Amino acid sequence: MTYMTINTSPTPPEAAVDLIIDQAGKTFPTPRGPVVALAPISLKVTRGSFVALIGPSGCGKSTLLRMVAGLEQPDDGAILIRSKHPEQFRKEGELGIAFQDPALLPWRNVFANVAFPLQILGRPIKPNNEKIRALIDLVGLKGYEDALPSQLSGGMRQRVAIARSLVSDPSVLLLDEPFGALDQILRRQMNLELQRIWAARQTTTLLVTHGIDEAVFLADEVVVMHAKPGRIAEIIKVPFARPRTPDLFSSPEFHALCDTLTAALHGPGAAA
Amino acid sequence: MSGATRENARIVFGVLVVLAIWEFLGSQTSWGVAMFPAPSRILAQAFADRELYWLHGLATVRTATIGFVFGCAAAMLAALLFCLSPSLELAFRGVNIALFAMPAIVVGPLLVLFFNGDWPQTILAALMVYFPAMSATLLGLRQVDPRLADLVAAYGGGETKLMLHVRFRGALPSLFAGFRVAAPLAVLGAVLGEFGSGTRWGFGAFLLSALPQGNPARLWGIGLAASLIALAGYALFLLPARRLAASTSAVTLSAVSPAAIAVSSGGRLRRIAFALVALALPFLLWWLMVTLTKVSPIIAPGPVQTILFLFEGRQASAARHALGLALGQTLPVAALGLLAGLAFAFVLAALSLLAPALARALMPVAMVAQNMPLVAVVPIVTLVFGRGVTASVFMAVLVVFFPAYVLLQQGFTTVPRAASDLVATYGGGRLKNLVFVAVPYSIGHLFAAARLVAPQALLGVMVAEWLLTGTGLGNLLNVSRGGLDYDMIWAGALISILISVAAYEAVGLIERKVVRR
Ligand SMILES: Nc1ncnc2c1ncn2[C@@H]1O[C@H](COP(=O)(O)OP(=O)(O)O)[C@@H](O)[C@H]1O
Ligand SMILES: [Mg+2]
Repeated sequence: MTYMTINTSPTPPEAAVDLIIDQAGKTFPTPRGPVVALAPISLKVTRGSFVALIGPSGCGKSTLLRMVAGLEQPDDGAILIRSKHPEQFRKEGELGIAFQDPALLPWRNVFANVAFPLQILGRPIKPNNEKIRALIDLVGLKGYEDALPSQLSGGMRQRVAIARSLVSDPSVLLLDEPFGALDQILRRQMNLELQRIWAARQTTTLLVTHGIDEAVFLADEVVVMHAKPGRIAEIIKVPFARPRTPDLFSSPEFHALCDTLTAALHGPGAAA
Repeated sequence: MSGATRENARIVFGVLVVLAIWEFLGSQTSWGVAMFPAPSRILAQAFADRELYWLHGLATVRTATIGFVFGCAAAMLAALLFCLSPSLELAFRGVNIALFAMPAIVVGPLLVLFFNGDWPQTILAALMVYFPAMSATLLGLRQVDPRLADLVAAYGGGETKLMLHVRFRGALPSLFAGFRVAAPLAVLGAVLGEFGSGTRWGFGAFLLSALPQGNPARLWGIGLAASLIALAGYALFLLPARRLAASTSAVTLSAVSPAAIAVSSGGRLRRIAFALVALALPFLLWWLMVTLTKVSPIIAPGPVQTILFLFEGRQASAARHALGLALGQTLPVAALGLLAGLAFAFVLAALSLLAPALARALMPVAMVAQNMPLVAVVPIVTLVFGRGVTASVFMAVLVVFFPAYVLLQQGFTTVPRAASDLVATYGGGRLKNLVFVAVPYSIGHLFAAARLVAPQALLGVMVAEWLLTGTGLGNLLNVSRGGLDYDMIWAGALISILISVAAYEAVGLIERKVVRR
């Protein structure tokens, strides 16, 4: 893992860049006047790296992720994933996404919900039966394949959404606070699983999170954002070797980095 | 015993008490015998008439069912097209509102000119079904959870995939709720069509032949049987609609409110253009209908000819005079019935806030009664109010009251809990709560109710005039139908539809003014 962390510094030529955000900003018109969700920001993410976005609520993290997925158009600037426009890229089924809210189809059971992206992409389900079951197993929902979303707890629904985000074998994965509804123990467990999945597939991953420890544990670099207007305050590299084990959570270096991050979050310029 | 069982036992007990009182008054008092024949007599008469019920009932049920199927098919197709193209919906606004507001009784005699056999009443049933089924389906198709729309878009799916996987399934509960409301209307449409078509079989024909016979038990039997058929249609869709609603509602609340449909977008010019198209389209369809079917223009004049009938030639002033006279009799009664029905519903809904037990008792009755076909109350109205103008007023009040009450009661229950609590915190009682919170909150529902029932009031009065009083617009149409005065049938139908649409639009206009405040 040599070139995991590239952003404003010049990119070494041998590391392919998966995501380029170039001076993209977003202002929403509202009845009470325009709201600047995101001032023009720039970010580069190399292939196979894991980037965590962290910042106070309302600083535009979700907006940034939605722009990368092509669900919002930046007012100015440009976004390219693997040199393609988001609308074009997502059609190829290379994009996986889990929103802040599970957004499950209420009338479909767990299995059919996980299979849903394949249907949208026009891929067959039958040959993928085994894979879908394995994903449901992976998120700890074995035996719940036939349950409807209304029969699951909030955390279980969120895990269905995580399994769903992986079903299309994406090369770029966007996760918006996917573990927000999980308890601390399950959250640790899912962190380890996510690291395993990411390491196995070398999926370029963008993770929005509220958990500082989660960001440090998982990411190659942490993008710290400030609000009003939403902007990138600092980008902090995480030097720990991989694979990372749960011991890391109790190491002094880990805590030192978490403290650095906390300081950056509340640093100069952070909205009161 | 659980609470639900006890509640049910109480309802059964209440019904038995009412039946016992009815049985006593209907057999022991002279006015009871004449107006409220005892249930045992009604049943005995129905048993004696069983062959007639079978033949008439079968005809009406068949007509209503076929009309329901055609009407719903058309409604679903239209809703799909309107969902795909909001411009198309704007263009068809005039047609849709005309179909909603038209007093169905004037359309029956027109359909007879184009179709024969059972088709006129079947088509009338379909026309009555169309609007509620279409608007419910369209609402269901449009109400897509924005989070699911995002999900589909994130995997590169377009409108087709969204329609296929999300909209269709998501619209099912609305669709069935629409079916539920439409089923009793199919029965009403069938019966109203039978009045005008001169058919031998069907509850419409049965009622027409029974009205002059002076047999109260038979009249009550016909009214109750027609209601039963309509309510059976309602009940048929009750359970599936509930099931579907439970399995479709999102498990978490949507964080984002659904995007408002951009119908009002576009410039002023565009809006005016669409309004003109919407206005012209019903007339264009009318013209196409009479031209393409090649029915003689004497029997089926086009829009231009009908308007000329009222303004040119020797007969014009006589025709205008006859129509004016009829309108002078009909409109005040309809307006009176509308206002009285609305006021009565508002007062009763408000009172039920002061006495919640009253609301609990009244609501199921009102829910059932609003789905009774209004022709079913004709027998009761005749027996109680005779054939004078009070019968017309009462008919209008009846058709206005029940739907208005249900809507207003729902309005009163949407008052936010916090607002009522605030009044209570400052020591305000139920009355203060009513005056300062509940009434202002439910003004919007009052307007919605008025818009919904204004056309019904006119229909109620015209049905009473046609069948009972022999005055006004309803009678003019019936007489013209008998006298083969086709120009007058068309002119009368046109005028009454225009008045209905105008009433509907006027309420909407006042509503927008008041609600914008
Ligand atoms: N569709 C929208 N319309 C108007 N304002 C929006 C919309 N989406 C987001 N915003 C505003 O943009 C800002 C950033 O929102 P968001 O990206 O959801 O923040 P975060 O995910 O970091 O909490 C907030 O102030 C929010 O109110
Ligand atoms: Mg967010």
